[in-house]
Amino acid sequence: MKSKECVAMILAGGQGSRLGILTKNVAKPAVPFGGKYKIIDFPLSNCAHSGITAVGVLTQYQPLELNTYIGNGQPWDLDRNDGGVYVLPPYVSAEKGEWYKGTANAIYQNIGFISGFDPKYVVILSGDHIYKMDYSKMIKAHKAAKAAATIAVIEVPWDEASRFGIMNTDENMNIVEFEEKPKNPKSNLASMGVYVFSWDILKKYLIADENDPKSDNDFGKNIIPAMLGDNNKMLAYRFDGYWKDVGTIESLWEANMNLLSENPGYELDDPGWKIFSRNPAKPPHYIAPNSRVKNCYITEGCEIFGDVENSVIFQGVTIKEGAVVRDSVIFPDSYIGKNAIVNKAMIGTDAYIAENSEIGSVADDANKDFVNTKICSDDITLIGPNVSIAEGIKVAGCSMVTRNIKKTSAEKAAGKKTVKGTATA
Amino acid sequence: MVNNNTLGLIFSENSEASLGELMKFRSLAAVPVGGRYRIIDFMLSNMVNSGIVNVGITAGFKNRSLTDHVGSGRAWDMARKENGLFILPPPETVDLNGRIMGGIDYLSGAMSYLNRSRQEYVMLSDCNTICNIDLEKVMDSHFEKDADITVVYTEEPNISPRELGKHILFDIADDGSVSDIQIYPKRQKSDAAYMHMFFIKKSLLIELIEDCIAHDEHVISKNILLANLGKLRIFAYKFEGYKKKIDTIDAFFEFNLELLKDDVRRELFGEDKKSIYTKVKDSVPTKYGREAEVKNSFIADGCEIYGEVENCIVFRGVKIGKNTKVKNSVIMQKSQIMDNCTVDNVIFDKEVILCSGKSLVGESTYPLVIGKRKVV
Repeated sequence: MKSKECVAMILAGGQGSRLGILTKNVAKPAVPFGGKYKIIDFPLSNCAHSGITAVGVLTQYQPLELNTYIGNGQPWDLDRNDGGVYVLPPYVSAEKGEWYKGTANAIYQNIGFISGFDPKYVVILSGDHIYKMDYSKMIKAHKAAKAAATIAVIEVPWDEASRFGIMNTDENMNIVEFEEKPKNPKSNLASMGVYVFSWDILKKYLIADENDPKSDNDFGKNIIPAMLGDNNKMLAYRFDGYWKDVGTIESLWEANMNLLSENPGYELDDPGWKIFSRNPAKPPHYIAPNSRVKNCYITEGCEIFGDVENSVIFQGVTIKEGAVVRDSVIFPDSYIGKNAIVNKAMIGTDAYIAENSEIGSVADDANKDFVNTKICSDDITLIGPNVSIAEGIKVAGCSMVTRNIKKTSAEKAAGKKTVKGTATA
Repeated sequence: MVNNNTLGLIFSENSEASLGELMKFRSLAAVPVGGRYRIIDFMLSNMVNSGIVNVGITAGFKNRSLTDHVGSGRAWDMARKENGLFILPPPETVDLNGRIMGGIDYLSGAMSYLNRSRQEYVMLSDCNTICNIDLEKVMDSHFEKDADITVVYTEEPNISPRELGKHILFDIADDGSVSDIQIYPKRQKSDAAYMHMFFIKKSLLIELIEDCIAHDEHVISKNILLANLGKLRIFAYKFEGYKKKIDTIDAFFEFNLELLKDDVRRELFGEDKKSIYTKVKDSVPTKYGREAEVKNSFIADGCEIYGEVENCIVFRGVKIGKNTKVKNSVIMQKSQIMDNCTVDNVIFDKEVILCSGKSLVGESTYPLVIGKRKVV
């Protein structure tokens, strides 16, 4: 194998349990975002644009969809004669086999893969953030400073700093201390989960960490503190652009809505830094004569007959006559029936909302069986992938619907009567 | 299933089609249609969807845009180690004006491709009949009838006198064989209109081409089909779906606006139909502004729409400004219509800029065509 100066490793094994039903069958990096993307498109596209042509994607939790999606890496120009993108699940060897115990252990288990490229630097990325970043500039800064590790940091509001891993630095941006979710933060520079390491140094620490039975085998908890403890040169690299962790339903919804704002903070439509994705072969979308579309994102393959406002609509979605979709995110291939109302909701892939139903209802008689304020905050309603909601059902706001809602037999009987009544009238 | 015994051959040019300004810089096959496609996408996708893994496209002289569009054929899954997509350069036989004379001249330029390919059968087609056709059915019919040539036709009653002169009509016997061919007739004696697609054994095709070349004959319909009526077993296969031949600006305009009909979209792109592929551009979704008013329009990805759009076909990356009204128009890729404009019955080629406050109005029977990269 030809050597590469730099190899990127994307940590994509996490469940993202706070995304509830959305990550029941797929890993978090495979969650749809922004009308036609999956979260993993962002780090993969960033790698492609940064000139990193050897990329490992570490998968563990529910990897099938992610594996299929990445395929040979062609959509990101990562189908290469030398290098390219590789999906790296845990494996068994002659002596032992085990799951990835932590982020550091995941890289440790793939030392052989990385060493095969004989790289000088390794970039470690997490597969669950939305941002556009040129890693090559960060590698340049790392080289210039002759650092052992460079960690990308972003300024966060002071009152939120205690939710992040915070880097305390000296005036030259050398990291002097790392605090995970500090109660009284001394700095508001949060780690973005983007690391550049000099490979020979990292390798030593990974092996030492693996031999420490007390370690959690985690970069934040173990590797970074250990390296700091040994007085390695550790650089904080300031990033000024948009960066968003979409780990909760609320933040995922917000990040989608942010695309509709006048100034989203980054340009999704940047010809020099396109976010690549696996494009479905779908025709343009159709907007019917009686529909109204205002302030929204709509993708190819949709057929819109109803009203859509402040919403992000993924490919292949059908919205029928009289339906109203407001402040919502509709994932691919979903169906919204006639006169249905969708209010501040996220509708999973291939979900079916039958006519006259109401998602995110405030009515007293709305179905409250699925209300789940742990997952769904801020009145956002979540309908799971492939879930179908029967005709006329009202689903209360803040619900997470994990299975089909059918009509009760009483409702069915009542429904039949009404139909009969109308027919005779 | 992969059909490794048939190769496809698509003609990227058609001397009977003239799209004026739209073909100034590009071949017929590369003319943009339907919001995100080029004319060639339909026939090429039909071939790929029928399991054909080896396709040759005969190129004319203005082939830059065509070769750029199809590239290695990857978007059609045709970038293969074996077989795949081949652009066949224009033949050297030209008339006194430097024009290529007919289909047979293109075929003569494709002879070495035909000879080198391993496939035993050839599916030939013009590029400019837009349809979603299952070509496997044509092949099935060919073998069932033990035909030498199977031509594809469609039922077309009441062809207008003006259009009739551009049609080739068949008389079809009860057994499905072609009993007569009328090329560019004055009166309509049959409703069976040729779709400029046929299926034939490669060895027979090569033999027929060589005969034609030896006799200085240039026209496929006349010198291959009509000349062999009664000598070869020529059978007809009837295609029943939606089809539209694009050979004039009017037909181009009509086809695009027909995509606003639900049944036409279903015929070409419906869920039970196979996909029509095109070059992938990784455009973002289309953004609609707060003041956007969009009615009855077919809109591709990557657009930004802030004004009023009605009865339009809008290609990838188009921008339509505030207080602007665009009606009954076809706006190709990356064109920009600034604020406070009025546009009605206009075809914008790619990358046209209409400056603020301008008005452009054509007629539904005579759309205004604005050439590529013009600034108005």
